[in-house]
Amino acid sequence: MASLDDPGEVREGFLCPLCLKDLQSFYQLHSHYEEEHSGEDRDVKGQIKSLVQKARKAKNRLLKREGDDRAESGTHGYESFSYGGVDPYMWEPQELGAMRSHLSDFKKHRAARIDHYVVEVNKLIIRLEKLTAFDRTNTESAKIRAIEKSVVPWVNDQDVPFCPDCGNKFSIRNRRHHCRLCGSIMCKKCMELISLPLANKLTSASKDSLSTHTSPSQSPNSVHGSRRGSISSVSSVSSVLDEKDDDRIRCCTHCKDTLLKREQQIDEKEHTPDIVKLYEKLRLCMEKVDQKAPEYIKMAASLNAGETTYSLEHASDLRVEVQKVYELIDALSKKILTLDLKQDPPPHPNTLRLQRMIRYSATLFVQEKLLGLMSLPTKEQFEELKKKRKQEIERKRILERQAALESQRRLEERRSDLASRATNGEVVPPRRGPAPLRKAEGWLPLSEGQRQSEDPDPLLQQIHNITSFIRQAKAADRTDEVLMLQENLRQLQDEYDQQQTEKAIELSRRQAEEEDLQREQLQVLREREWEREQGQAASLHTRTRSLDFREIRPFQLEPGREPRTHLAHALDLGSSPAQSSTATKTSPPSLAPEPFRGWSGSPALGQEFLPQSTPSQRSEAPSLNPFDEEEDLASPSAEGTASPPAPEPSLGPPARLLREYNPFEEEEEEEAVAGNPFARPDSPAPNPFDEEDEPPPRTPASLPVPGNPFEEAPCTNPFEEDSDGGQEGAEPIEEELLLQQIDNIKAYIFDAKQCGRLDEVEVLTENLRELKRTLAKQKGGSD
Amino acid sequence: MNVVFAVKQYISKMIEDSGPGMKVLLMDKETTGIVSMVYTQSEILQKEVYLFERIDSQNREIMKHLKAICFLRPTKENVDYLIQELRRPKYSIYFIYFSNVISKSDVKSLAEADEQEVVAEVQEFYGDYIAVNPHLFSLNILGCCQGRNWDPVQLSRTTQGLTALLLSLKKCPMIRYQLSSEAAKRLAECVKQVITKEYELFEFRRTEVPPLLLILDRCDDAITPLLNQWTYQAMVHELLGINNNRIDLSRVPGISKDLREVVLSAENDEFYANNMHLNFAEIGSNIKNLMEDFQKKKPKEQQKLESIADMKAFVENYPQFKKMSGTVSKHVTVVGELSRLVSERNLLEVSEVEQELACQNDHSSALQNVKRLLQNPRVTEFDAARLVMLYALHYERHSSNSLPGLMMDLRNKGVSEKYRKLVSAVIEYGGKRVRGSDLFSPKDAVAITKQFLKGLKGVENVYTQHQPFLHETLDHLIKGKLKENLYPYLGPSTLRDSCFSSQILLVLHMSKLDLNSSIKPKVLFLLEYRNRCFGALQILVSCP
Repeated sequence: MASLDDPGEVREGFLCPLCLKDLQSFYQLHSHYEEEHSGEDRDVKGQIKSLVQKARKAKNRLLKREGDDRAESGTHGYESFSYGGVDPYMWEPQELGAMRSHLSDFKKHRAARIDHYVVEVNKLIIRLEKLTAFDRTNTESAKIRAIEKSVVPWVNDQDVPFCPDCGNKFSIRNRRHHCRLCGSIMCKKCMELISLPLANKLTSASKDSLSTHTSPSQSPNSVHGSRRGSISSVSSVSSVLDEKDDDRIRCCTHCKDTLLKREQQIDEKEHTPDIVKLYEKLRLCMEKVDQKAPEYIKMAASLNAGETTYSLEHASDLRVEVQKVYELIDALSKKILTLDLKQDPPPHPNTLRLQRMIRYSATLFVQEKLLGLMSLPTKEQFEELKKKRKQEIERKRILERQAALESQRRLEERRSDLASRATNGEVVPPRRGPAPLRKAEGWLPLSEGQRQSEDPDPLLQQIHNITSFIRQAKAADRTDEVLMLQENLRQLQDEYDQQQTEKAIELSRRQAEEEDLQREQLQVLREREWEREQGQAASLHTRTRSLDFREIRPFQLEPGREPRTHLAHALDLGSSPAQSSTATKTSPPSLAPEPFRGWSGSPALGQEFLPQSTPSQRSEAPSLNPFDEEEDLASPSAEGTASPPAPEPSLGPPARLLREYNPFEEEEEEEAVAGNPFARPDSPAPNPFDEEDEPPPRTPASLPVPGNPFEEAPCTNPFEEDSDGGQEGAEPIEEELLLQQIDNIKAYIFDAKQCGRLDEVEVLTENLRELKRTLAKQKGGSD
Repeated sequence: MNVVFAVKQYISKMIEDSGPGMKVLLMDKETTGIVSMVYTQSEILQKEVYLFERIDSQNREIMKHLKAICFLRPTKENVDYLIQELRRPKYSIYFIYFSNVISKSDVKSLAEADEQEVVAEVQEFYGDYIAVNPHLFSLNILGCCQGRNWDPVQLSRTTQGLTALLLSLKKCPMIRYQLSSEAAKRLAECVKQVITKEYELFEFRRTEVPPLLLILDRCDDAITPLLNQWTYQAMVHELLGINNNRIDLSRVPGISKDLREVVLSAENDEFYANNMHLNFAEIGSNIKNLMEDFQKKKPKEQQKLESIADMKAFVENYPQFKKMSGTVSKHVTVVGELSRLVSERNLLEVSEVEQELACQNDHSSALQNVKRLLQNPRVTEFDAARLVMLYALHYERHSSNSLPGLMMDLRNKGVSEKYRKLVSAVIEYGGKRVRGSDLFSPKDAVAITKQFLKGLKGVENVYTQHQPFLHETLDHLIKGKLKENLYPYLGPSTLRDSCFSSQILLVLHMSKLDLNSSIKPKVLFLLEYRNRCFGALQILVSCP
C-alpha cells in the first residue's frame, strides 16, 4: 500500500499491498492475497479491492506496451512470467481444424458424365422393352424384323464394308448382323445375344423403379414374365432347329456390356448378404443395451441403496432382459464369426478378417458393458436394505428432533431454575407442579407422541424465554435491554451446563446407592460401568455417539413405545432377580466387557444415556409421574424380591423420563436393557426384540422368555442378518452369477487367446473349471 | 494447440459423417501411420470401422456391404489408385478425404471415374503429419537435405506437412527464420507461398497478435543431439528407438514373445504420460510404486479361488488387472532394459564427460577425460565417436587442439570407418563456420554473469547441466529480444514491435546422426504454447 502511495520509493510490479512482496503477476498477487491476508480486517479488504482494481488496470496498461515492459523487467524472467498464476496445462479450447469440400465440384463433373451414361442405359432399356413387348414366337420373322427396324433405325448395309469390331470383310459367308438396340452392324462372331429372361429382368426392374407404388401393374407383369419364360424354354428347342433367334435379341458387345453392368447393379441392390442381416441385428441389440443398461444401473444403484423408487421385480426383469440381449449379442457375433467358414471355396481372407473384427468388437462391447452391471440385492437383502434406509432416514429426522429438543430442554431447565429466584418469568412452570397441569401444557407424553417441542427442564425453559425476549427486544430496537438479556442468557447457560454435570454425577451416585440397597450383585457391575461412563457422559456428545449405534438397530415406531417401556422396565427388573438367583452371580464382572466387544457398544450407550436423563429425573418427582401407578401395577411381580417402592424411583424414572423426551432415547434405554442379557448370557434373560411384534401390553410374567440372547440378538443387527439372508437366498442368485461369470471368463479366455497370453488362458481356464464344478454342485444340491 | 487432438478430431469427423454400418478405412502408407498414432484399434472398432486396407493393396475383395472411408495423401499414385477403385467399386459407397490440398484437375478425373455414383463425399482434412505428442509432430522424413540444400521432394513434403499443420490448428502465422540457414529460408518461403496461394483457406479469425512460425536449423546447435539424455521418453528414444510410438524390444536378452514390440503412447498409457519427462532416477521409484500398487491389486492367482466371493472379485477385477499387468510388465521391461544398457555402455560416466565437453571450457581436463574413456572397453564405438565429435565441435579452433590424436585413439579402439567419418561430417554440418551464433562462449554480459554464478553455485546434476541452445533462443523470442538480424521476418511485418505472441509455432529442422556414416538431417517439428515450451524441449532434445 505504502509503496504505491509513496512516491519516494518506486517499486513496480505486482506488490502485495500488505506485505509488499513482489508477486510477478496479477494472478499470483490475487492468490497470494487470498491465502495470506484473507483473515485480515474487512475494511482493509475494501481498500485492497480498490488496489487490486488499480493493479488490474496497471496490468492492462502493461499488456498494451508489453514489448518494452518485458525488456525493462527482464529480471522477472521468462519462466516467472509465463507461469505466473496461469495453469500451464490449460489448453485453449480447440475447434475442429480447417477443411474444404470438393463435393460440389466433384458432383458437377460427375453429373456431366453420369447424365450421358444414364441416358444411354435408359435408351437401351426402352428399346429392349419395345423389342420384347410382343409375342415373338407367334409372329412371323418378317414381321418381327419390321418391328425391330421400327425401334431403331438400322445402319445401311452398304455403309459398313468391314466389321467394326474385328475388321473382317463382310461377304456372303460373313454376313452382316444388326444390333437390335443401336442399329449398328457387326459380324456373327462379334455378335452378342440377350436372352429374353435377362431382357425381362432389366426392363421389369426399371419398370419397378419407375412405378414402385403402382403395385397392381406389377402382378400382371410378373405373370407375363413367367409365362414368357416357359414359352421361351419350349421354343428354345425349335430355335436350334431353324436357327431363328426367337428367344434372344441380337445386339453388339457395347450394348451388351452396358446392359450387363446394369444387371449387376440391380442384383446388388436386391441382394443383402447374410453378414449384413446378422450385423444389423447385432447393432440393434447393442443399441438396446445402450438404452437399457443405464436404466438398469440406475435402478440397481437405487435398490442397493435401499430406496423404493423402483420395484425389485422390475429391476430383475430388466436385468434378465439385458442379459438376454448380451447373450444374443454373443450368439450373433459368434454366428458372424463362423459364417461361411465351411464353404467351399473358403471365403476371402478379408471376409474372415471382417468377421473376426466384428466378433472382437462385440466381445469388447460385452466385456465393457456387462461388467458395469452391478448385481441386485436378493429379496431378503433388499428388505434389509430398505429397513436400513428407513432407519437412516428416521435417524436423521431424530437427530434433528433431538437437537431441537436438547436446546429446548436446556432452556426450560435454566428458566425454571431462574424462575425460582427471579420473579419476572411470565410462564414459569411450576417446577414441581401437578402432573395434570403439565399434561395441559402438552409436555407430557401421555396422550400423543409429539411432545418434543416442549421441554420439562425449567432452566431450559428459562433460556428459551430469554431468547424470545431478546428477539422481541431486538425487534423493538432496545439495544440496552438486549445486552442485558444476553448477559442473563449467558449466565443461565453457564449455570445450566454446570448443573448438568452435577446432576449427572449426582444421579450416578444416587443410582449407585439405590442399586446398592436393592441388589448388591448388580450394583457391582453397574457401578463400575457408570463410573466408567460418567466422565464421558458429561463431555461426550450423545448424538455422535449414538450414530453408529442406531445404524444397526431397527427403528421402533412410537406407538409401541409406551408398552415397551413397561417391558423394558420390567425386563430390567425381571432379569436382575433372575440373575441374582443363578449361578452366574459371580461371573458378571468377567462377562461385563463382552457386550462391548460383541455389540458395537450399545450397552455402553444405553448407560451413557442414563446420566443424560438425570436432570429431568430430578426435576420431576417420581410420585408425580402418571406412569408410576401403571408401572407399579405392571411390574411388581417382576420386581420380585426387591421392595416395590424403593426400586421404582430409581429405575423407573430413567426409563420413563427418557421416553418423555424423545422416543429415541427411550429406545436407547431399551437397548441398554437389551444389552444387559449379554452380560448374563446364561440366565434365561428375555430378549426384548423378540417380543416387539407381539401385542404391546403384556404382563411381566410372560417376559422371561427362555432363549440364548446371543442367538437372538444378532437378528437385530442388520449386518448379521444381511449375511443370514444372503445365505438363505444365496442359491438362486449365485447360480445366476455363476453363469454370468462363466460367460465372462469365457470371453476373457477368448480375448487372452487372441492376444496370445497363454499363462492367462491357463489361469482363466482353471477358474472356469472351478466355476463349472461349483455350478454343477449347486445344481445337484438344488435338485 | 494440440496436434494429437487435431488429427483425432479429423478422423472422428470422417467416421461420424459416414453414418452407421460396417466400414472399411482405406489408407495409404503414410496416412496409416498418421491414423495409428492417434487412434487405437479398439477405439476405432467401437466406431464400426472393422477393416483397414491399403489403397495400393491388390488383394482386396469386393465387399459391397461395407462403406469405404478413404483417407489419402493427394499424391499422383493415390489419385490413380482411387480412379481404378471407382471404376470398379469394391464397396458400396465412398467417403473420400484428402490429407492436403488436391488439385482441381484431380477432382475432375476422379469425378469422371465415378460412373456408378458411389462417391458420397470429397473433402480435404488437413491431417498430414504424424502427431507424436500433443505439442510435437514429425513427418518421419529422414535425410531431407543433400549437403546443405533441400531435397526438392522432401521440401515439398515438408511444406505440405507444415501448411497442413497450420490449417489443422487454424493458424495463419507470421514467419521468421534463421538467417544463417539457407534451408530454413527456403522452407519459410515455400510455406509463405502456399499461404498466399490458398489465402481462402487461411482466413481464420484474426487474433490481436498473430501467431508466429519460427523456422530454425539444427546446424546452429549440433551439440544437443550428441548428448545422452536422462528423461524417460528421451532415453527410450535414444537407447531403444521409438518409431510411431512403437518400441522394438526384440534385441533385449530373454524377452518374452508378447513384449517383442511394445507401444508407448501417452494417449493410452497413464504411467507413461505422467513419467515421460521425468528423469531416470524418478522413474525408478515410480516404477517401484507402480509395482507395489499392482501387487496389491493382483488377484491371488496361485491361491485357489475357494469361495464364490473370491471368484466374483476376481472376475470383476480382471479387466482392470489385465490392463495393469500389461502396463506393469511393459514399463518394467523397458526400464529394466534401459538400466541394463546404461550400465553396459557405461553411460553415466560417458554422460558426465559429454556434459563437461558441452558446458565447460577446461580443455585439458576435457581432453584427459575423453582419452580415458576411449581406453575403456565398455564404451561403445558409437559413444566413443560421439565424445570425439563433441570435442571436435567445442575445441575446433582451440590452440592446442589434439583432434588428430583422438582420431588415432578411435582407430586404435577399433571404431569403424563410418563412425570416424562422422567426426569430420559433424564439423562440416555444425562447425563454427556454419553456426550463426556462438554456442560455447557467451557474448553478452548477462550470459557471462549467469555462467559465473552457475559456476559458483555448483551444478545440481552433472548429467543435466547442458541447456540446449534452443532454450536461449526461445527465451529471447518470448521476451521479444530475438534479434531481427539473425532471425528476420519473411515479408513485411506490420507488427514488428509487439513481438511477443501467445502462439508460437516453432519449426526445427533437425539432424539425425545416422549410422550410415553421413549426417542425414531429419525434419522434426515442435510447436509451442507459451508455457509448455520447456516441457516440450525435453522431447525435442530427446529426438535427435
